[in-house]
Amino acid sequence: MSIRLPSSLWRRLMRKRSFCLSAGFLLLLALVAVLAPMLAPHAPNDQNLLEVLLPPFWADGGSLDYPLGTDGLGQCVLSRLLYGTRIVVVIAITAPVGAALLGCVLALLGGYHSGWLNWAIDRFVDIWLSFPSVLLALILMVALSPGLQNVILAIIFVDWARFCRVIKAEVLVIRRREYVAAARISGASIYGVIKREVLPGIVPSLIALMALEISIAVVAESVLSFAGMSVGPGTPTWGAMISDGLGSMYSSPYPLLLPVLMMILTVLAATFLGQGLSEATDVRALERSGAA
Amino acid sequence: MNTTSATEPNIAMVLIARPARLIWLLLRQALWRMPMLIIISLVVFVILRGIPVDPLNMLVPPNASSADIARLSHQLGLDRPVLVQYGYWLLAALHGDFGISIQTGTAVTAMILEALPTTLQLLGAGFAAGLVMGLGSGLLSFHLRGTRFEPAIMTLNGIMIAIPDYLWAIVLIISLGVGLQWLPFVGPIDAALQVRKLTGFTLLDSLLSGNAAAFASVVSHLALPALALGLCVATPIARMLHASLAEVYHEDYIHAARLRGVAEKPLLLRHALRNAALPTIALIGVQASVIIGGTLLIETIFGLPGIGALMLRALGAFDMQTIQALAVVYAITVQIVNLVISWALQRINPRLRSSP
Repeated sequence: MSIRLPSSLWRRLMRKRSFCLSAGFLLLLALVAVLAPMLAPHAPNDQNLLEVLLPPFWADGGSLDYPLGTDGLGQCVLSRLLYGTRIVVVIAITAPVGAALLGCVLALLGGYHSGWLNWAIDRFVDIWLSFPSVLLALILMVALSPGLQNVILAIIFVDWARFCRVIKAEVLVIRRREYVAAARISGASIYGVIKREVLPGIVPSLIALMALEISIAVVAESVLSFAGMSVGPGTPTWGAMISDGLGSMYSSPYPLLLPVLMMILTVLAATFLGQGLSEATDVRALERSGAA
Repeated sequence: MNTTSATEPNIAMVLIARPARLIWLLLRQALWRMPMLIIISLVVFVILRGIPVDPLNMLVPPNASSADIARLSHQLGLDRPVLVQYGYWLLAALHGDFGISIQTGTAVTAMILEALPTTLQLLGAGFAAGLVMGLGSGLLSFHLRGTRFEPAIMTLNGIMIAIPDYLWAIVLIISLGVGLQWLPFVGPIDAALQVRKLTGFTLLDSLLSGNAAAFASVVSHLALPALALGLCVATPIARMLHASLAEVYHEDYIHAARLRGVAEKPLLLRHALRNAALPTIALIGVQASVIIGGTLLIETIFGLPGIGALMLRALGAFDMQTIQALAVVYAITVQIVNLVISWALQRINPRLRSSP
């Protein structure tokens, strides 16, 4: 196997149009999240009960005061969408990292401890994957109180199992590779082997899993806030906007359509990002095509 | 393959051994799944102890003395360790008693039995719609391989697969429900119609009572929720089927069949599909928990009075007994689907049968 430089990875990624588009979209989202207070024309929770359910500016009766119209409480839809990106971006960054950490630690423990611990971790992964994750997250949010930190915790607590299962399978394969045996013979400790030989080996799968987890976590948060069990009523989220929009659907579809559209675009971007990354880091496929 | 006379099973084998093996298989599977259910219920039980609301405060009148509260707490077993409490709960649950709902004051078991048929009906319709759409589009895209339709279908599939079930529900409501006004999307049946309750499954009840108008109404009200659920079943199936058909077509037995002169259509439907279906069916098992979790929001969005709607109400009211019981019901549903899947896999794939 030749040494692959990260730059070759970048080149492969940049050739894919869907990857560039989705990465660009997500970066834009992150930028919007940071700049939301400057971009938003109104405070997200400001209610203007005289201008309820205004249409966007391009429709009849719309005004540039509220570029994307107002919702049932006279709140500016654009501002709420912009502020909603903050939750999306925070979740998209923290949940994959947290779930990857927890999943990897348990996978390494299980992969290197072939006794009861390995068995127990396997059973817990089975159990976790056989229970609807939406439900587990909702039950956790009832027990914890609403808040961003608890949402992140709940999503990590629900989603670690997928990481654990895939990474553990990888660890078991890598452990039996000859270069690991060679490292052990040349005097490396178990921790040295894990750090220098095993961890680099699981990076490709980890990147792909984390990228896919972005869309899963964002959807999970939107489901929680749709059900009213997320960050609490004071913080605008797309899920809560969708839930509110359903109520005023007959009078004006825009407060429902716009967050649904943003949600779909974000999920698509995250999914294509994940697909691009997993294709670009799939060592076996690369070896077959001769790129590695 | 031998001649039929040599392998023809005798009557006793057919009458006794086969059902016995099937029952043994199902029993073994069920026994193996029991500990999983117990651990899930324990995890949920422990999590629910963390609810910030004291259940006693909801049960006692505001002027109750602390001695009264202590007595009630003792009576309900709330002063004992969590594991002991769980033991009592499990013992009662095994007898079908899930306690009394704080929210409504009625027995939780009765509430669940009332709501469960709606969910199972949605789940059945969703799975059926998903299988038809998934198999259909998977076969179609493979049949059109090499043409420009194949990448188009697969790209569309790649987009649709990313969209979560509750967004499908809303997209369908906006487009087919509000926009085109083709299908109704509120409630299980037209408000003016009524179905006599026999089994709880409105589809079945309206048929049994010979009420054609009610049946039509139930079907049309079920169409959109089942479609929303079915789309989430169908997209991964189509993708998987397409991929495994492409793989199976490289195998020797397909070439052999083609050389024998088997036409393209029976080759695909009778020879290739059977093997390609295996990973697809296994995938449904993996996806079962996601799909069943999807009914939760779909029921709420479409106003269906199933256990998902019940669950969301219970979650909002900190109704621990109902939440706990429903979590177990969901877990059992997933396990039953997985049981059926593993049975189906064994039926289709003789290589999985351990004994000859």
